[in-house]
Amino acid sequence: MTAWVLMGLGAGLVVVGTVGALRFRDVYSRLQASGVADTTGAAVLLLGLIVHGGLQREDATLALLLVVLLATSPIATHSIAKSAFTQRHGSEGGP
Amino acid sequence: MPVLEGILLASLALVLVRLAFGPSPWDRLMAANSASTRVVLLICVAAVLLERPALLDVALVYAALSFLGVVIMARTLERPGGTR
Repeated sequence: MTAWVLMGLGAGLVVVGTVGALRFRDVYSRLQASGVADTTGAAVLLLGLIVHGGLQREDATLALLLVVLLATSPIATHSIAKSAFTQRHGSEGGP
Repeated sequence: MPVLEGILLASLALVLVRLAFGPSPWDRLMAANSASTRVVLLICVAAVLLERPALLDVALVYAALSFLGVVIMARTLERPGGTR
């Protein structure tokens, strides 16, 4: 039961990140929505998958994947934002 | 229970719309990053729900390679004239 609640919460956060990436107005807003919501949603969904089957051997791999995603996703988002800012990319409507 | 996979697949398709129509290269890069996160989550859900633990190693390698690709493309775009 707890596992399904966590998985549903994670999928909901991923959907929120998708809506933000589709609807927001400029690059930095979209990066913020996608980065924050995707990282949190992936972490919560992986926690739900760890809780799902009791204590098993593949839970170690899932925990390693959770740590890898939590470490690399903010780095990738920051790298994209720094690249856009270095190239002086403004918002779409303004200069 | 295929509801979770359906939600993740629909979200992946919507992110691929941003990847196709993104106005700037950074939008496409952000969409590629989000799409790879969703693919990793899909592989993990399939591995646990179908009881195929070998797929988790595939997800681990996919996550590492997609991170490497996104960072390399962002650094390439950052150079002068990199957007051409």
